[in-house]
Amino acid sequence: MRAEKKLAVCLTGNANVGKSVIFNQLTGLNQTVSNWPGKTVERAEGTLHFQGYTMKIIDLPGTYSLSSYSADEVVSRDYISVERPDVVVNIIDASALERNLYLTIQLLELEAPLVIALNQIDLAAKKGITVDAEKLSEMLQVPVVPTVATSGIGMQELLSKVIEVAEKPGKAPSPKHGREIEQRIGNLEQALKAGLPRLCSRYPPRWIAIKLLERDEDVGKHVEAEGGTWILSVATEMISGIEQLHGEPSSVVMASERYSLASRLAGSTVRIVSPPRVDMDQRLSEITAHKILGYPILAGILGCVFAVVFIAGGAMINILDGVFNGVLVPASEALLSPVLPPIFAQMVSGGIVWGIGAAVTIVLPYIVPFYILLAILEDSGYLPRAAFLMDNVMHKIGLHGKAFIPMLLGYGCNVPACVGCRIMETDRERFLAGFVVTLVPCAARTVIILGLVGRYIGMGAALVLYLFDLGLVLLLGRLAFRALPGEPVGLIMEMPPYRTPTAKSIARKTWVRTKEFVYVAFPFIIGGSVFLQFLSATGLINVLADLMSPLIESWLGLPSVTGVPLIFGVLRKELTLVLLADIGGTFDFSRILAPVQMIVFAIVTMIYIPCIATIAALAREFGAKRALAVAALDSVLAVFLGGVAYHLLSLVM
Amino acid sequence: MTEESNMSELLELVKTFTQQGRPVGVSQIASRMGIDPTDARRLVDLAIKSGFAAEASDVIELTAAGQEFVKKHREEYLHQRHFHRGSLAGRLRGFFEGRVTDWHGHWRHHGFDDESVRGFYRSMQDYRGRIEETVPLTNLGRGDRCTVVFALGGHGMVRRLAEMGLTPGTEVTVVRSAPMHGPVEVSLRGVSLALGRGIASRVLVKPATDNRSPPLPGA
Repeated sequence: MRAEKKLAVCLTGNANVGKSVIFNQLTGLNQTVSNWPGKTVERAEGTLHFQGYTMKIIDLPGTYSLSSYSADEVVSRDYISVERPDVVVNIIDASALERNLYLTIQLLELEAPLVIALNQIDLAAKKGITVDAEKLSEMLQVPVVPTVATSGIGMQELLSKVIEVAEKPGKAPSPKHGREIEQRIGNLEQALKAGLPRLCSRYPPRWIAIKLLERDEDVGKHVEAEGGTWILSVATEMISGIEQLHGEPSSVVMASERYSLASRLAGSTVRIVSPPRVDMDQRLSEITAHKILGYPILAGILGCVFAVVFIAGGAMINILDGVFNGVLVPASEALLSPVLPPIFAQMVSGGIVWGIGAAVTIVLPYIVPFYILLAILEDSGYLPRAAFLMDNVMHKIGLHGKAFIPMLLGYGCNVPACVGCRIMETDRERFLAGFVVTLVPCAARTVIILGLVGRYIGMGAALVLYLFDLGLVLLLGRLAFRALPGEPVGLIMEMPPYRTPTAKSIARKTWVRTKEFVYVAFPFIIGGSVFLQFLSATGLINVLADLMSPLIESWLGLPSVTGVPLIFGVLRKELTLVLLADIGGTFDFSRILAPVQMIVFAIVTMIYIPCIATIAALAREFGAKRALAVAALDSVLAVFLGGVAYHLLSLVM
Repeated sequence: MTEESNMSELLELVKTFTQQGRPVGVSQIASRMGIDPTDARRLVDLAIKSGFAAEASDVIELTAAGQEFVKKHREEYLHQRHFHRGSLAGRLRGFFEGRVTDWHGHWRHHGFDDESVRGFYRSMQDYRGRIEETVPLTNLGRGDRCTVVFALGGHGMVRRLAEMGLTPGTEVTVVRSAPMHGPVEVSLRGVSLALGRGIASRVLVKPATDNRSPPLPGA
């Protein structure tokens, strides 16, 4: 067999255009998800064999523009301009051509070897919109392939066009701006070519000129680093000329010009076949974003999600727990104890096997159903409606509506919620959201609240604890918002139309996320449990518990035996309950703890140091220093509030 | 109409014409303001006497004092529109604040950072068209159509809005707004966007004439 030729192909496009569906169609299961170096932006990569070519497909993050507004945009633009993939596939939504072409025009400015996938032509047809792909191709001088990603239509042709473009390099013309701006671009381009040939060999000079006129900070820095300060001052002069002429900031002038070109392109290729009518999507939007009805619907949907997660999760836990704790742990113990010294046997069976068991039996049963339901909510397009309804509440803690989405994730598990904070635009907002998220009671903490307070004191008390936590989230969020420097950012969010989620996409999302969760959380859970087994095997744990006992007994009013479960709780919060039963030798917690003690215990476990997997996720997203700060703050707060609750409640109960 | 509002309209008009590079005389003023040429003449004479305008070979131009007057007028107008919008509390606040002299400090007081204040002054300088016709996007009701005139705010925000399609001159329809000062959903260029209330109130638009609901009273 002859050697296959290699091609690097990347996918770009706005959010909600079916980009990841095309990526999945092309790569199947041959994909890996990682992060871009130095950035918390997801990098999905896959391979594909087609007509003797091996294509490496990179799924760039969904962006609306190629300025340096967010990390997503910087990643996309750096990849296209620096790594120079052989072909860039721009996926555009046929039913919103004008807005989608804005990015296309920027890609052409970047002189990317472009193929356009005109996607979702079926949905557009339903709305009565047809797009003349040939004419669009002719006007842009770029191949345009109509596709329906969800059913795989047009994929073969897309790939042949990709190969065609790769084999016959030759760039499409960069779109023309207005006369006065075009003149300035030309002059600046000449100056760049003459003055900074090295930079011009890396980036297209015309593109640098355009970006300088837009006051792009990133490009400005590059030019300055190459010793082009004089070019910057020329550009600044040109900018003030443009602004005087048009009366708007130059970036707005350039955006306006791109949009007027996009509008012209759309105007001559889009045909509205039937008049727009009120369809299912609009009716659904009407109800779910309704100013009164929207809220009970939101509460109902969330209620259903949690009910399903807890019922399904609970059932799965019972089965898996039987397998691990009933069979595997004793079996490994029996196998290893004759071979290894007892301390190692304990560390292996009690640490590694038990740790895996704990991760599999308690975390996954809640996480997997939650991920499935979340994927359904995401794919249907409901989440932006929820964010829309919750925007003003989130503003109370200095965040905007989008932060509601990671917070929602937090109720399932804090780990994916920390990762989910990536949807926030600025670093400040991301960290603020991450901090708030760690205070949201996850499934594990809910188990404690329900299993201890709910069962022995009453559901009312459990609800009060829940509300107390919600209040705490709002209060601390607000304090953090005040304390962190920087300005709050407002909400600018696209509201995608409602769609019917497909089973395939849901399964894939669930799989990818579960895998990611396993990678992040499992090493810490297992490592932590080995470490704790080591502490307990060497007796160090009792020393630790003794050290903590004044705090636990006199300040929190808890029996000193609770010290050990609280230490283990760092590993996973619901462990505290399991170990409490272990130490007390009974599952009837009312024989170990008085009602007040139960409440205090629940408060402390609810708030103190996030579990080790969450700390790991925080460290990965925001750095170790911030992660430790959050953990320390939460712990101090938990002990403080627990003590206050004990002293206050002792007076009344 | 009072003398003062007539005067501000006259000066705004002169400014608009000059900015567009068109010479403006008494006859244009009369037809644009819908008043008698003799009244227009009287008004222009008053402006010249007050030192706001100068006339040379039938072309009226603003003096430095006139420019200053227009700037203050726009600031005050926008300020009223944005922060003291008709409500009792707003009116009380406006009353106690009186005539503001330190505009930079005052905008900061309303939560604009220095960059957005600069952006604001830039927009003010460059603003073409009659300011009386614009209202914040939040003043429109559902189903109302309008045209974006300009966005007021920091460089980053204005640019982001432009990139999402909210460029000056874009036609926008208000789809719905969330209760209790929640965000506003608008549709433009075939897509729906949700804009936080704070951002939406800084997008100044010109309402279409055939809207069902008249815009809320501004100042």
